[in-house]
Amino acid sequence: MNTYFIKESDFNNFIDNMLLQLPVIAPVLSSESVESFFSFEFLKNHDELRLDYDITILPPKKAFFPPRQVIIEFSHGKFHGTVNAKKQVLLGVHPYDIKAIDQTDFLFTENYEDINYTAYRNATTLVCSNIQTISKRAFWGSISHDVPARGHDAFLTKLTDLNEAEEEGYLFEVFNEKGHELLSFGQFLLATELQIQQAKSINESIKDKCPQQLNYSQDEMANTICRSFNNTALWDELAQDCFSCGSCNTTCPTCYCFNVEDSWNIDQQSGQRTRYWDSCMTEDFAKISSADGQSENFRKTTAARMRHRIMRKMVYLNDKLGTQACVGCGRCSIACTADIADPVNIIKRIMEEAANDSL
Amino acid sequence: MANNKAKVAFFDFASCEGCQIELTNYGDKDFLELLQHIEIVEFREAMSEKTSDPIDIACIEGSYTRQADCQRLLDIRCRAKVVISYGQCAGTAGINALKNHQADYQSFVYDRDAGMPHLDSDNAKPISSIIKVDYQVPGCPVNRYEFLDIISHLLHGKEPVIPNYPVCVECKRNETICRFLAGDHCMGMVTRAGCGAPCPADGIPCEGCRGFVDNPNQYALSKVLHEKGGLSLHRAESKSLLFNANERDNANKESEID
Ligand code: SF4
Ligand code: SF4
Ligand code: SF4
Ligand code: SF4
Ligand code: SF4
Repeated sequence: MNTYFIKESDFNNFIDNMLLQLPVIAPVLSSESVESFFSFEFLKNHDELRLDYDITILPPKKAFFPPRQVIIEFSHGKFHGTVNAKKQVLLGVHPYDIKAIDQTDFLFTENYEDINYTAYRNATTLVCSNIQTISKRAFWGSISHDVPARGHDAFLTKLTDLNEAEEEGYLFEVFNEKGHELLSFGQFLLATELQIQQAKSINESIKDKCPQQLNYSQDEMANTICRSFNNTALWDELAQDCFSCGSCNTTCPTCYCFNVEDSWNIDQQSGQRTRYWDSCMTEDFAKISSADGQSENFRKTTAARMRHRIMRKMVYLNDKLGTQACVGCGRCSIACTADIADPVNIIKRIMEEAANDSL
Repeated sequence: MANNKAKVAFFDFASCEGCQIELTNYGDKDFLELLQHIEIVEFREAMSEKTSDPIDIACIEGSYTRQADCQRLLDIRCRAKVVISYGQCAGTAGINALKNHQADYQSFVYDRDAGMPHLDSDNAKPISSIIKVDYQVPGCPVNRYEFLDIISHLLHGKEPVIPNYPVCVECKRNETICRFLAGDHCMGMVTRAGCGAPCPADGIPCEGCRGFVDNPNQYALSKVLHEKGGLSLHRAESKSLLFNANERDNANKESEID
């Protein structure tokens, strides 16, 4: 497929034309208090669009897998599924989040297809955009960095630092038919070789600009973390301030656990089945009922849960995914009120401890 | 048909009756709908009848505060198949428990009447400290929809689900900006969810009105309120007293906290 260019002066028209035809979910300013906070929302007009966002509070997976989703409605003994996916565009997703969506695409179709996810996913045109502002806790430059971002239909790069003679605008790479369809909404020109090279260098050079770094290979980390499994003192230390609040899961783009609950309407005849994002850091996540009417929690302590989360992100899924289940977005680090969730700090601490032990 | 309806009764102890009022807020249409499925046999805030018949579900509001409450509670327990305590006064003694830690509250509250004998009372305690309680609906006041959800589960023979995860979970589902990131403080990390996190969504801290989760990290709470929330050490320590005086690590110590 081809690579195109759209002038800065034509860009707003492109967005507005698209909005006339399709719902568009994109990063917008959610609130400005001490600093700016962004979220993916249904876009109302081009003015709201903030492609210069650093990070959103929740990851874009919510476009296919919302935090609360009614999946069945029932009434007087009959029920029907409520999946009703309509064509939509998810625009402005950063490459690390694209990698995370690629993971949930796999996990929700592996063995048994989760149609509540795939219906919305398949109805979505996914447009990646280059990272213009780096979040203060990001470390995507040094984790899951050797796997390519995959699964998006188009890629938008804002061309900056141009010579005076060059036209300001965006490079628009189209990978398939879905991406191609968007061309009809704007005044696209074929990109020049120079523009393609400029976009490439913009996307390359940002890779080592993250404020945090992990200087270990994926296998080094996985092996050492795995070997630290029984270092209870270490996990106790890492989890000491943990509230079991789950914010490190509920903000994570690669987390995919959910819980399902039924509720009745006031008439007691009708109601709904709703699924909610769940989180393995909460106390009762691993609580199960046993045959004798009792219950058993197989991860009772905060330390056991902290260990489980880190194992899930850095070890358990690596073979299946071909990469870690962490894309380095830094959302968990920002969200953790106790500031103990940052994988960079946790991994560094585990690696240090292992190095000391082997002295 | 009327005989198949679950008989439900409401009782109140030391409380502001705000939870009962919340239950009268369903609106006529919804309330009449609900009456197709339950028969309310006693409800002081809405009707004057009283009975001594057996009841299917007894809903108790308010805290234990005096000896005489014991017999009343035992009578209710004997009559009822299921006992639900609702509201934080009933669940943990909530705000009422503030007095457990203050010797001079009577003169502040009642002024010249402080010495009247009928104002004497014991430490405020949860209903479950006197009789077996089957389910507790958290909140100060309760959320009427959560209350209804629990009743609905019971009517359908299902076990009600009462969250044991903190408010942060619901706050994140709402994509609300965390109070701590907005330069404020919050107690949502130790507070039982189920309310839908309306306070942070309105830009104010969670004050912990639904009581603690089963295992709140109180040590980390003080630390985070102080270091991140900017509260003085003293305030960070005392902050959770308002709704959780009986639940705190130091609940049984004579407290200096003001
Ligand atoms: S673990 Fe943290 S940094 Fe890694 S992907 Fe999840 S939220 Fe992002
Ligand atoms: S097990 Fe935990 S870390 Fe893994 S997806 Fe589920 S909630 Fe996220
Ligand atoms: S690590 Fe932090 S965000 Fe995660 S559950 Fe513990 S306190 Fe909450
Ligand atoms: S605002 Fe309060 S409830 Fe919400 S995430 Fe922050 S600490 Fe938790
Ligand atoms: S957010 Fe906190 S204070 Fe507000 S209703 Fe919920 S538990 Fe109560």
